[in-house]
Amino acid sequence: MIQEESLSTQSVATRIEERLKPSAVPWSRLSVLPVVIALLVSLALPWVADLLPFGKFILHLLILFFLWGIVVQGWNLIMGVSGIFSFAQVALFAVGAWTSGVITQQLGWSPFVAMWFGPVAATVVAVILGLPTLRLRGAYVVLLTLGFQELFRNFTTQGPNFVAGGGYGLRYVPKFPFEEWVGGDKAQFLYYYLALVFFVIATFAIWRIFYSPIGMAFRALRDAEVYAISRGVSPFRYKLFLFGFVAFFTGWAGAFYVHWYGAISPAIMLFGTTINLLAMIVLGGWGSFWGPIAGCAVLTVLPEIMRAVEQYRILLLGIVLALVAIFAPEGLFPLLLRWVRRLLGRQTR
Amino acid sequence: MEKLMQAIYGGIVYGSIFGMMALGLTLIWGALRMLNLAHGSLYLVGTYIAFTLVNILKVPMVPALLIAALGTAVVGFGIQTLLLNRILGKPGWDVGSLIVGVGVGMAIDQSILLIYGPRVKQMPPLIPGIFKIGRVVINYNYLVVVAVAVISLVLLSVFLSKSRHGLAIQAVSQQPDAAQLMGIPTRTVFLIVMCISAALAGLAGALLSTVYQVQRESGANAMVMALVVTIFGGLGSVKGTIWAAYIVGLLQSFLMVYLGAGTALPGVFLFMMLMLVIRPSGLFGLGEAQRL
Amino acid sequence: MSVIFECERVTKAYGGLLAVKDLSFSVEEGEVYAIAGPNGAGKTTLFDTISGVSPVTNGTIRFYGQEIQRRRADDICRLGIARTFQTTVSFDTQTVLTNVLVGAAMGRPGTGKITLEFDQEAIQTALDVLEFCGLLDKQDWPASSLSVSERKKLMLATALATKPKLLLLDEPVGGLNRQERSDMVEFVRKVNQLGITVLMIEHIMKAVQALANRMLVLHHGEKIAEGVPSDVLRDERVIEVYLGGKHREKLSDNGGR
Ligand SMILES: Nc1ncnc2c1ncn2[C@@H]1O[C@H](COP(=O)(O)OP(=O)(O)O)[C@@H](O)[C@H]1O
Ligand SMILES: [Mg+2]
Repeated sequence: MIQEESLSTQSVATRIEERLKPSAVPWSRLSVLPVVIALLVSLALPWVADLLPFGKFILHLLILFFLWGIVVQGWNLIMGVSGIFSFAQVALFAVGAWTSGVITQQLGWSPFVAMWFGPVAATVVAVILGLPTLRLRGAYVVLLTLGFQELFRNFTTQGPNFVAGGGYGLRYVPKFPFEEWVGGDKAQFLYYYLALVFFVIATFAIWRIFYSPIGMAFRALRDAEVYAISRGVSPFRYKLFLFGFVAFFTGWAGAFYVHWYGAISPAIMLFGTTINLLAMIVLGGWGSFWGPIAGCAVLTVLPEIMRAVEQYRILLLGIVLALVAIFAPEGLFPLLLRWVRRLLGRQTR
Repeated sequence: MEKLMQAIYGGIVYGSIFGMMALGLTLIWGALRMLNLAHGSLYLVGTYIAFTLVNILKVPMVPALLIAALGTAVVGFGIQTLLLNRILGKPGWDVGSLIVGVGVGMAIDQSILLIYGPRVKQMPPLIPGIFKIGRVVINYNYLVVVAVAVISLVLLSVFLSKSRHGLAIQAVSQQPDAAQLMGIPTRTVFLIVMCISAALAGLAGALLSTVYQVQRESGANAMVMALVVTIFGGLGSVKGTIWAAYIVGLLQSFLMVYLGAGTALPGVFLFMMLMLVIRPSGLFGLGEAQRL
Repeated sequence: MSVIFECERVTKAYGGLLAVKDLSFSVEEGEVYAIAGPNGAGKTTLFDTISGVSPVTNGTIRFYGQEIQRRRADDICRLGIARTFQTTVSFDTQTVLTNVLVGAAMGRPGTGKITLEFDQEAIQTALDVLEFCGLLDKQDWPASSLSVSERKKLMLATALATKPKLLLLDEPVGGLNRQERSDMVEFVRKVNQLGITVLMIEHIMKAVQALANRMLVLHHGEKIAEGVPSDVLRDERVIEVYLGGKHREKLSDNGGR
């Protein structure tokens, strides 16, 4: 029509690339080299760690990092990127764990089969939980989701015995049969590689969403919801997709967890776990892609090496959290990156 | 019949307690639009101030209660002036204030653990002794708790609806921009609200230390119930919150008496979630307009 | 000329308050139609119902003959109705280009599916619109760092990126200084010349007179006058009932500041 012609006749010849500034676009390209290097290093890590005195312990930490990394990235997508204050992520993790655990215990299925039901259950729960949150604003979402987490914790504490285990949760859950395959010592390697695969797949999927029109829609809804809807963003479609998508990976991590530890306690759903994950996001960088991963790495390692001064660590973490929220609301990781860049910039000049 | 009496009695006790906790939370939400997740920790501050005064310094109970309320208000004053005021009115307030609350709460809880250790402690009751109506056991201490709670709720309601400062608080809660334009010093109002809210939490903490044991978890538990109540009442609505406190209190008490103690918490939570689904802004909620 | 858009007996109630009362009017393809009225008359509320932000209480709204009053806001956008807001909004944390891309990728007719790729047409549209609005140079600025008039322009740009047939403008020159106002008037004219029908809320009469073919005046949710601006503004009822005696000079001054 007229509009189409006149809008485009002015610029038909002008190509997209000539006008587009790379710094303006909401998408991103992965640089192949760093990714390949990172992957190779991750593949080699267990063998290197094996040579170190605390090799087993390091592997253990890395697996924890992979699992919480998945949960934290998903939560960041919901909270940091989309601005929805869901506080039920640990509950979804637990839904995944319990579903898969109970299936292996009660039906005797292999963990490799059962572990797919965890994420599916988490997704279903998240979508059901997500429907009412579509109508709620900020603080009410916090309360609804916290309420769900309390309920589920209660269920796993006081529910039927095959769920609650008399208050201890699930115990003696069949583990992945890695020990039978390769023997005790190297089994840890296989756990590590499986967790790595989970982590890489989840991270890549979240990365794709983050820099896609979907991520753009999330951010638009976060910045100005009514405005975004009036520009064609369907809150219903995008938010339900968001809840389901994130819950799948969160539940996946939960399922892995239960077949790795061989047990899970309702205590995991106490507020402390949630706060720890929140701290990873806040310190790392709310709404950024790499920040929460970095935050997760630091806050997974820190508690383990600060075991002796645990009490002071929590005190310090609380103080740092409040101070970061006030003085560095974008998080420490982006701040650090900028300092490093500035430093490097000065040196090259 | 006795069961019914027992349930109603319990409901009134719980309702009064919940009301004190929830009112502080709802006031802060109304004025500052902040979900104060440090509220449970302020409760703990009150508890441990009272514990220190009564059990260690041997101060009588009544001044101890007052000092606990005042001391907690001072902590609230500090949180507001040192931290919150720096991000007040800036973009990202909702996220920032939530996280400040979490961080401060962690720091307070942990400091208390470091100072007092993990052991559960006991406080003497305000007035010992019991009497019976039929087979329902009535505890003098509970009656005092209810009386103090009701008196403070009534005083606060009168303050809010009659006094100049109270009216300013209401004005700021309902239309912050207009209130500021009309020359109401919003920052001062926020500070007053924070102090009142903290004082209430502290008083509740001190009072209830005579009913429950003195332990760290009680702060979180009290806050969880306060959150539930504020949802029922609708965040920011004073009248709604007081109603909701007694409704939730009765609900919890009935569940305990008729279905067993284990059903109370999940029952209340389930009810809350249903409530949120049916009436997204609570029983008496202000209903946040979605508009630009 | 054919009717592109009509409201028939539209009513919107907020509790007991009737913000829009039994309002009927129609807009013809290609024209600029203005809605005036004092604060609280119900103008923005009318836009909210048309754009699907809040549902009508009663009445029908037709766009190209099709009833749209029950559709969701994002759907209505893709049908070809885009609106701006009285308060200047933008996706503050995003770049100017991304702001416009939201409209281009989500709001054009035929878009709206969840996809992982930005299609070339959306990017092309976004760039064209930015060029048309004179914002191409600032495409990588965060939206929050623009001036008020630029942000207003950007809000309009995101609307244009959805390729609307009907553009709803809520007080497009409000909050602008004299120079910016005449720029904005020129700009709206330029947009109209692209063939986009404009329905505009404005109570600065100079802008209305410069742009509108027809206008209506709303008072307490009701239509009190409709017609060619020069006639409407001479209407005794409009002057007396709506503007009141003391505003008379404002009319003759054409609302200039
Ligand atoms: N979400 C809402 N809830 C209740 N009343 C509202 C709402 N939005 C607008 N109103 C009322 O509707 C009337 C019309 O408002 P509005 O459409 O903004 O007027 P205008 O844009 O003409 O200045 C006003 O009295 C206003 O208070
Ligand atoms: Mg208006």
